[in-house]
Amino acid sequence: MLQFIIRRLITSIPVLLGVIVIVFILVRVIPGDPCTALLGEKANAERCAQFNERIGLHQPLPVQLGIYLKDVATLDLGTSTKFGKPVVQLLVERLPTTIELTIYALIFAIVVGMALGIVAASRRNSAADVGSMMVANFGVSIPVFVLGLVIAYFFAVVMKGTPLALPGVASGRLTAGLRFETIPQAWGMEDLTGVPRGILDFLSNMYTVNGLLTLQFGLFFDAFRHLLLPAIALGTIPMAIIARMTRSSLLEVMGLDYVRTARAKGLRGRVVLFRHGLRNAMLPVVTVIGLSIGGLLSGAVLTETIFGLSGVGLTIKDAITSRDYAVVQGMALFVAFVYVIVNLVTDISYGFLDPRVRQS
Amino acid sequence: MTRPSGRLPRAATLFAGVVLVAAACTPAASTAPSTAAETPGASTAASAAAAIKYPETGEVTCPSGATKGSFNGNDYTGNMKSIEAPDDMTVVFNLCAPDVAFLQKIAFSVFYINDSGWIEKHAADGTIKDTMNGTGPYKLDEWRKGDSLIYSAFDNYWDKANYPLVPNAVLKWATDSGARLQALQSGNVVGMTLVGPNDFKTVSDNSSLLLAPAPEGQALNTLYIGMNHNDKPWSDVNVRKAVALAIDRQRIVDNFYPAGSEVATHFTPCAIKYGCEGPDWPSGGTDADIQQAKDLLTQAGFPNGFETKIQYRNVFRGYLPDPPAVAQDLKEQLAKIGIKATIDEQESGTLIGNANAGKLDGIFLLGWGADYPEVTNFMDYHFGAGCTAAFGDCLPDISTPLGKGNSTTDDATRKAAYAEANQKLIDDVVMVPVAHGQYANAYLAGTEGAQVSAISTEVLWGMKPPASFSTPDTVVFMQNAEPIGLYCADETDGESLRACEQSMEGLYGYEVGGTDVKPVLATSCDPNTEGTQWTCKLRSGVTFHDGSTFEAKDVVESFAVQWDAANPLHKGDTGIFEYWGGLWGGNLNPPPPAS
Repeated sequence: MLQFIIRRLITSIPVLLGVIVIVFILVRVIPGDPCTALLGEKANAERCAQFNERIGLHQPLPVQLGIYLKDVATLDLGTSTKFGKPVVQLLVERLPTTIELTIYALIFAIVVGMALGIVAASRRNSAADVGSMMVANFGVSIPVFVLGLVIAYFFAVVMKGTPLALPGVASGRLTAGLRFETIPQAWGMEDLTGVPRGILDFLSNMYTVNGLLTLQFGLFFDAFRHLLLPAIALGTIPMAIIARMTRSSLLEVMGLDYVRTARAKGLRGRVVLFRHGLRNAMLPVVTVIGLSIGGLLSGAVLTETIFGLSGVGLTIKDAITSRDYAVVQGMALFVAFVYVIVNLVTDISYGFLDPRVRQS
Repeated sequence: MTRPSGRLPRAATLFAGVVLVAAACTPAASTAPSTAAETPGASTAASAAAAIKYPETGEVTCPSGATKGSFNGNDYTGNMKSIEAPDDMTVVFNLCAPDVAFLQKIAFSVFYINDSGWIEKHAADGTIKDTMNGTGPYKLDEWRKGDSLIYSAFDNYWDKANYPLVPNAVLKWATDSGARLQALQSGNVVGMTLVGPNDFKTVSDNSSLLLAPAPEGQALNTLYIGMNHNDKPWSDVNVRKAVALAIDRQRIVDNFYPAGSEVATHFTPCAIKYGCEGPDWPSGGTDADIQQAKDLLTQAGFPNGFETKIQYRNVFRGYLPDPPAVAQDLKEQLAKIGIKATIDEQESGTLIGNANAGKLDGIFLLGWGADYPEVTNFMDYHFGAGCTAAFGDCLPDISTPLGKGNSTTDDATRKAAYAEANQKLIDDVVMVPVAHGQYANAYLAGTEGAQVSAISTEVLWGMKPPASFSTPDTVVFMQNAEPIGLYCADETDGESLRACEQSMEGLYGYEVGGTDVKPVLATSCDPNTEGTQWTCKLRSGVTFHDGSTFEAKDVVESFAVQWDAANPLHKGDTGIFEYWGGLWGGNLNPPPPAS
């Protein structure tokens, strides 16, 4: 297994290099440059020449690429021209939002998607089957930004003043001004420094996690309310795909001989479905879930923009607008890295689900 | 890895005209700064602390005419000569040449005062751009990156009359005006900036919302049609006149601008003093105008017109709320005199870069919004010593009267100077001013202190949410972007400046919702008779949010670290300190030009 993981990691290096080079070129192909994006009407040629020299953009492109590759090798993703801070720092600041959003969207997609798929498969050709698949088809057809805007308007504006009201467009992550303690504050560990402190600060910035770990349930519920609509908007497409995949995979498995044998043994239908059918039907579903995580990360750009969530997606979008090359490159590289890791984890999980894969 | 980049070459030229005109009266400026004893009205109660002077050693040689000044062996193009603190409660600014906009400049948000100890600690370690320690009514509690800025009332605020109306304030942001409006409609925020031009009616028709437009005539922005005089056919003034005559500017304003917008009678909005001296820009677009325009084109050798481009950038601004539509309308209007234009939309930065480099060979649409409400901010940046190649070569016929107007406090002289400059703009048709675009904020109905500011100075401490708001003890205001940084000396975006506005104060400030200056941390700043020395008496009993006492050394340090590019604390967000160069002409010890 270890050999397998190492081999996969090594083979991912060319992929990441490709991502670096392509993104490096693409961001420079976009018209405009960081100086004029930053200074607007006040930019002029001489000022921009100084600006470019200061951040190294006066060098020939191959030299810039070489410097960037050298920096990346030392985990230095460069410095944001807009915010004047290291990209790694920005990533640490913004990543918790995206992770939280992705997790809730994934939970929504898996729970609802599998439930719909199981209902549809277990009651094939019934009204429940048709209804479930209609929901799935609708979910896979509607773009994230349309669904996001519609549900945000409905729950935030139309439902305003009712118990169903939820934070909508540009609502951010918490009710404005809500005060809370970070994990180091709540645990009396404010003197902690270094990596442990960094980890606790990172977790503190995942507000629902912070709320649970520090028993600040007001924080948890407020953060959860703010995540509900974005998670639904983001998770709907993968939910639909998972539902359809679960249905088809489960139908296939439930028709196999060993399932018939289980039924012949007199096992109850629910036991046959969940213990014998579902587990074996999970392999393609897990693949879809793994692939969905990549989709969730890219979909987060739109979702975070609509709901004003300050995650990696919104940061990438802003960075493209402001021609913040280092941020676009760094964040894209990070997303690619996550994609590689998720695929690796997906492959490894096959072994746990199917002993035949493990043995091979 | 990086080198401080304080020198701003365009800024370097900005004051050359001022200095040229003022050279005759510089002897007073070049005399040694006065001491506290010599300063009229100096406080005798001030402490006997050692006087402070910046630069501490060496004398600045002021620029004179076309000759650059010098300091420390480096060229110097700025107008600041020295800054001194003869005692703890007095600061003296010595200028190379008179500056009539001195008070407006020091009232600008980038010159807010920091505690000297704070600068020394936080500029050095780079954290100064992430937090604030001002003297203002709200203190910053937290910057939740990407989400909001959270403030609370400062208990020891010196100005009890302007103590915050509610104890808490939150500044949020969303780039899309529709998103801001939906946040307002859903009751998540109390107020928002910049209602979209198509949403004015939506807001005014909604009884639970309040539209707060800029007061009549206070839209401090200008859209203009530019042409590069170095390129054919624009090098012929008759062609430029023909374009000006052919365009019905009223039609553009009526069709594409929100209510309250105005046709520009001058390049500078009339709400700005001296902005509208001289004749109004002639109207155009009538049948007679069209015929006259055709005649002019014939005289210029284009009886059948010619082909050109209409270039604009793909961003929406208050001065140009619908760029494609305006460009299309212009195209149709120009067709009436035979000018066949194609529309060329360019990326924002590309268009600005091309314009400033003189590379736009057709008509272009650009504009300007006030940084600070002073005529120099409009005229000098475009036609004075700070002009770029956008309109071709800079025009001494215009920069000379501008320099004259900038270097005197005499009202009649200033009026005459700006009238002369405006007349030349019309005669030469350097560009065609089109419109001053109306803008508006929106609030929940019942919000106390609803404001709109032309210069991003809405103050949250002057607002109180309606009782029905979900958190009535907290003002939640939504602007159009996240602040880039909180060290406003080195920021240029209005969103950063608004964030600073809540916590920081300068020697002077602007009236809430207005453009007049008023003393804040200074009780007064008075010029000498030549206008080359300003003596500011500081307010006593002021403390910073961290408990430090406000003193003259804080003022000197706050200005000096921006001024001197070699100062070890000349560090901010980008290190450009854009406004210093633009407003004061240049840095001490500027870095060498880019290779």
